[in-house]
Amino acid sequence: MNTEMHDKRIPIIKIKDFLIVSIQVDMHDKLAIALQSQILDAIGKTGAKGVLIDISVLEMVDSFIGRMLSGMASMASIMDAAVVIVGMQPAVAITLVELGLEMPGVDTALNMEKGIDMLEKRLREQKLEL
Amino acid sequence: MTQPIIFDNQWERLGKHPLETEYDIVKIRQLIRQHAKSLTMGIVDQTRITTAVSELLRNMYNYAGGGEVIVDTGIVENHKALIITFIDHGPGIADLGLAMSDGYTSGMGMGYGLPGAKRLVDHFEIQSTINEGTIVRVMKWK
Amino acid sequence: MSEQYNIEKFKERIERIENVLASVAAGDMDARIESQTEDDLSGVEAALDLLIDDLTDELRQRDIMQKESDEKLSKIQEQQKTIMQQQEDLLELSSPVSKVWDNILILPVIGTLDSQRTQIMMENLLQKIVDTGCTMAILDITGVPTVDTQVANHLLKTVTSARLLGAECILSGISPAIAQTIVHLGIDLSIIRTKATLQDAMIFAIRQNKQSDDARLRRQLADSNENHE
Repeated sequence: MNTEMHDKRIPIIKIKDFLIVSIQVDMHDKLAIALQSQILDAIGKTGAKGVLIDISVLEMVDSFIGRMLSGMASMASIMDAAVVIVGMQPAVAITLVELGLEMPGVDTALNMEKGIDMLEKRLREQKLEL
Repeated sequence: MTQPIIFDNQWERLGKHPLETEYDIVKIRQLIRQHAKSLTMGIVDQTRITTAVSELLRNMYNYAGGGEVIVDTGIVENHKALIITFIDHGPGIADLGLAMSDGYTSGMGMGYGLPGAKRLVDHFEIQSTINEGTIVRVMKWK
Repeated sequence: MSEQYNIEKFKERIERIENVLASVAAGDMDARIESQTEDDLSGVEAALDLLIDDLTDELRQRDIMQKESDEKLSKIQEQQKTIMQQQEDLLELSSPVSKVWDNILILPVIGTLDSQRTQIMMENLLQKIVDTGCTMAILDITGVPTVDTQVANHLLKTVTSARLLGAECILSGISPAIAQTIVHLGIDLSIIRTKATLQDAMIFAIRQNKQSDDARLRRQLADSNENHE
């Protein structure tokens, strides 16, 4: 069942237990912070266990957006949801590393399919723990 | 004393942009990417200079409340260069050495900005005077 | 009286000689004395004309040769441009990335690594990872004699960037010499998985693949079991 939750430009889509966020615009700082809040809100409201953030269209991730993403991963994990960043462009990855922003502890996947695999694996492991 | 940052009149002026709102940060960094593209820089270098500019714009906005960005192109040290100068009339930076060191974060958000940007560009200059302002110049070779 | 006349004529002819020589010196290749009279002076005049003929011939030759030389120079410059382009292409080709197994990329690196080459290699590998969707990449440096700090740092950067993309890199074929250099330079490669040989790296990668394939199969099986309950 899909529920679309809009905020102006960045839609959050729910598929099964996961939220999918596709960032398609060059975000200014306020929009990035707003997105962070919206995603956490959506996790709270829907009880989603995983969030896939698709940045395959983003041509630049600077330190602010990078910290927003890793911050969100931490906050989401406190809410028992895993965040996977999907589709980072090679030039963006190289620049982030050179910037010194390596985002340890943030899961990344090559594409949506692998991201979903990763989240499903995580959910399996969690269920086994219970 | 440091040498003043001058503009070489052999350079070609590509643009002069005021930084007044947060949206200007996005607008200006997109313009820089366009310039880098026109200079036929590779995609990774385009991303590097755009990211460095974003860091410096944010610094200027958060720390000095805004300023001006001047974009030139010219030959520097035998390279075709994209030259970007950031001028603000903010509070200035008290301890440049500290601000340029890795891992330094001040409450006002000077954090990753300067040392990170420096790593992404081919030439980096900064001058700052307390209560007068700061000038940062970066260059990226084509 | 005729003597006076002769001297005047003589002076005229000397003047003419001087004028022609001056014209030739100024660049007029066509100026000649072309005396009509036949006497002692005309011998000199004729000789001078021949001299001027030879001189202007030489000059014309020289101009032609200069032109040819210029053409050759610009041809060489064109060729240099082509060679440089080919070198760049070779640089890219010399670090080919091959997909060898399902989900595994292999990048055999051969020869001396410099900063520029390592940078190109890194960009190629990352793009190949995105294009093929492979999450494992083996960088085999058996063919690399030495590594300096810059190159080691570039390798580190490659692995970290690949990780941000969602792929793992395995470094194989590190020679004892390179291992010593790395330790001496104080470079921390501990975050990179290393294997002694390409074979070891392949076996490891295949096992990893199998593990995640098995895990996925189990999940799918469990999911369909749940759906049937």
